[in-house]
Amino acid sequence: MTIALPEQLRASGLLPSVSRLGDTSKDCEVVLDFAKLRRITPAGLVLLAATVVRWRQAHRNVTFRGLKHCAVTGYLQRMDLLKVCGCEWPEEFLRHESKGRFVPVRLVDHRVDEMGNEVAACLAPGGEDYEHPMAGLYDLASYVFTETANNSRQHSAGLAYVAAQATRAEGMVRLALADTGVGIRGSFALAGFPWSREGDDAHAILRALGARVSSKPNDPNEGVGLTLVSGLARITRAWLLIVSGTGVLRISDGRPPELSDLPNGGCYCGTLLAMTFRERDAHGFARLLHNAKVDAGLLRTPRVAINFEP
Amino acid sequence: MKIELSLAHDFGTHLADGYEAADYRRGRIDPYVEICEGVVLDFTRVRTANSSFVNGLVAALVEQHGAAVLRKVVFKGCNPVLKVLVESAIDLGLQKIDERVDA
Repeated sequence: MTIALPEQLRASGLLPSVSRLGDTSKDCEVVLDFAKLRRITPAGLVLLAATVVRWRQAHRNVTFRGLKHCAVTGYLQRMDLLKVCGCEWPEEFLRHESKGRFVPVRLVDHRVDEMGNEVAACLAPGGEDYEHPMAGLYDLASYVFTETANNSRQHSAGLAYVAAQATRAEGMVRLALADTGVGIRGSFALAGFPWSREGDDAHAILRALGARVSSKPNDPNEGVGLTLVSGLARITRAWLLIVSGTGVLRISDGRPPELSDLPNGGCYCGTLLAMTFRERDAHGFARLLHNAKVDAGLLRTPRVAINFEP
Repeated sequence: MKIELSLAHDFGTHLADGYEAADYRRGRIDPYVEICEGVVLDFTRVRTANSSFVNGLVAALVEQHGAAVLRKVVFKGCNPVLKVLVESAIDLGLQKIDERVDA
C-alpha cells in the first residue's frame, strides 16, 4: 500500500489524511510518499509519528519515499519526525536552538510534570517567572499538555507523542498530542461502562468532556482533564480538535462542540488532540482557569473559609 | 504537633500526577490529620500544577475528613493559579460529601 501525503498536513484539513492513514488493511508493506508535502503543523507531525510507530509495532514494513523532492524535509528532520519514525536521512543544516519556537516530536514518557515545564518553557520563554509577560502562555501550555498527557499515559494503554510550535509573527501557538492507544470509547469499554459498547466514538468524546467523567473508577484526578482543556479552549476562543476512533469533536471561536465522523469511513486507532490558540488570549491564566471551572460546575461560590498564607 | 509538608521539596516545582498526589496524601497526610493540631501544605516554589494533582491531594482530603479539616489545614505560598486549583479541589470534595449525604 502506498500513501501519498497531500500538500498540506495541518490540523484544519487533517481529517481525510487521518482516514487514509488509519486504513486498517493488513498490508505488510506501507510506503509513505512525502514528495508533494509542502506544509505540516504539529497535528500532522504527531499523527504521522503515532501512526508509523503503531504500524511498526504491528510488524508492518514502513518505507519513506520522496524525501529528496519534499519541500519540507529539513523541517521534518528538525522536528525529529524522521528520527522518531526510525528513518535515517542526512541532515544538511545546522540545528539551532528551539526555545521560543517549537517543541520537536517527542515521546510522552513518565516525566509528564517535567515535560510540561519543558514544553511550556519552549513555547513561552521567560514564563517560568510568574510575573513575566509570557507567564499566561506558559501556564496554559503546561496545563493543556499535562492534563492531556496524563490521559494518554493513564487511560490509552498506548504510546503518545507531542509536538508544538509558536509562530510569533502571527501570534499563534499550536500544540498537538497523538497516541497509539485504545481511544476514548475503548478506554471506557475497558473500564466496563456498558454504554460505551453501544454508542459511537464521537459521543464518547463528548461524554469525556463532561465534568467528573473518568474511565477509571475512583480516579484521584476526578476526571476533569478534558473538561477543563475544552473549557479553556472555549474561553480563549481557541481551535480544538479531538479525533478518537471514528469520532471527531471540534470547538472553534468559543462555540459549543461540533461532532462528526471521520470522512470516508475512516478510523484513527488512538486519540489525537490538536489545539491552536492566540498568544494574546492566554494572558491571566488564573482568571481563565477560574472561569473554566465555574462554567464546568467545578467551582461554586465559596461556602467555607480557606486558610491561604503567603 | 503541627506538620509542615513542602511540596516543592517532595515533588519538585511542577506538579502533574494525580496518582502520586493521592499516594502522598494517603501516606503523609491522612494518618495525621486527626492527631495533629495543624497541617501546612507548603506550595512555596511550586510554579505549576494541574487539576489532576491538586484534586488528588486535596479533594479526597476534604471528602474523607469533612469540611472541618479545613480549620486545620493551611495552604501556604500558593500563586494565583494554585489558589484557583485549591479552591476548586475543596469545592469538589464538598460536592462529593453533599452527594454522599443525598444518597
